[in-house]
Amino acid sequence: MIRLHNVAKVYDGGVVAVQEVSMDVRKGEFVFLVGPSGSGKSTLIRMCLREEKVTRGKIWVAGKDITKLPTWRVPYLRRTVGTVFQDFKLLPNKTVAENVAFALKVTGCPRSIVRRQVNTVLELVGLSAKTDRYPRQLSGGEQQRVSIARAFVNRPPILLADEPTGNLDPATSVGIMRLLDRINRTGTTVMMATHDFAIVDAMRRRVVQLDRGRVVRDQGESGYESSEET
Amino acid sequence: MSTFLFLIGEAFVNLRRNALVATGAVLAVFVSLALAFGALVFNELVRVNTLQWQQGDHLIIFLKDEGGPVAHSELLAQINDYPEVKNAWYMDKAGAYQEFLEIYSDQPALAATVTAADLPASIRVELEDISTYQEVQFRLVGHPLLRRLSVFSEGIERLLSLTGVLNSIGFGLVVLMGASAVVLIANTIRMAIYARREEIAIMKLVGAGNWFIRVPFIIEGATVGLLGGGLAAAAVFASHNLLERIPTDILIRFQVDQGFLLSRAILILAFGGLAGFIGSSLGLRRFLRV
Repeated sequence: MIRLHNVAKVYDGGVVAVQEVSMDVRKGEFVFLVGPSGSGKSTLIRMCLREEKVTRGKIWVAGKDITKLPTWRVPYLRRTVGTVFQDFKLLPNKTVAENVAFALKVTGCPRSIVRRQVNTVLELVGLSAKTDRYPRQLSGGEQQRVSIARAFVNRPPILLADEPTGNLDPATSVGIMRLLDRINRTGTTVMMATHDFAIVDAMRRRVVQLDRGRVVRDQGESGYESSEET
Repeated sequence: MSTFLFLIGEAFVNLRRNALVATGAVLAVFVSLALAFGALVFNELVRVNTLQWQQGDHLIIFLKDEGGPVAHSELLAQINDYPEVKNAWYMDKAGAYQEFLEIYSDQPALAATVTAADLPASIRVELEDISTYQEVQFRLVGHPLLRRLSVFSEGIERLLSLTGVLNSIGFGLVVLMGASAVVLIANTIRMAIYARREEIAIMKLVGAGNWFIRVPFIIEGATVGLLGGGLAAAAVFASHNLLERIPTDILIRFQVDQGFLLSRAILILAFGGLAGFIGSSLGLRRFLRV
């Protein structure tokens, strides 16, 4: 579902963020990208969304080589990939329902379908009672649920999450992880960058560890630290 | 269709949220386009006021009623024989009245107070060389049929050169003010986009295409332009109505045709909308790179 081949990213000024990364994420898999700050986790996610262009190598997302994708096709790529971020990235002047509906409206989805899909997904994330609230009227955990609802509303085959629990307390984080796990169980491929070891240890899923832009460990059903080390 | 309605709704929500900036932009566009429209009307006033002279009436010899048409015809024949005269023709009282009615067609109240009998017959003279008008004047001074002699030749020379300058200034003003309207709208839209750059980044992240983001801003810009243009048109119409109340001098008119005003108002309105479209498109370019 996601394939990276010898991917490197060097920012202006020669800062190397990612080097020679190759990995395959199969359909329906849940993968944690772990590593310290600056290890290249976020850059990798941003490259999978074509927010950043690769310096070298190739990335295939949902079967398409996105390194060759023309600029005008990028929005279509992003409609097939749901995204969740640490800072929620909600539109402040739109209500919960409008924020979620926005992801469908950009695709030109008819209003009746938008309404039905939004209601369904908000029920799934447990926010059907707060559809008319604005993001500022919600707690951090609720805002992240809205963000997840928006990412999942058009049933994308892939969901990328960059530190989705980074701004949340441990109890709320558990709720968010349960939600991501449920989404994954519907067949959605999930790739999540985190340095929350408690979550990674609890979930026991595939872990790809990055250090200074390189993959230093790729282990199935693992914890934050290597199974051999623990 | 529902997407388009959604985008229009977004544009008006943006306008409401940026009401202060939008009002500033509407007023700035209004000032620019009112000046541009004013310059167009001014050019038309210059054209209307010099039209008669430009058409070749270098001299108008207003005649006394004594002697009647026979004596007037004799004088016309004499004038046509002058070497300086290219062409001379007679305008009787009925013709003068007809001309009066045409000139003051937009002032029926004034036309109603004048009859053909009140207006003098005249001989209109076109000269071979406008610099010879003084010779013709010299020949006619003291003639018993002469009521009054209007000499436009010298004035024409000065006025035509002045008209050229005024037209150039007017045209320059139209171009300058039009361009400033475009720049003002571009700047307003750019400020609106800058204030919402994070929102735009989020829209792009969830897969909004450039046109999806662009259309509300373009509608916003076009609305600002149309409102500014509409206010400018209304202001010029109001000013023209005030000018119409000034008593009309026999030589200078302060009124232009309503049809001219209406057509130029539509032009200004369309330009306002177009300026908004161009301005917002220019303002958006930098922010929509993926």
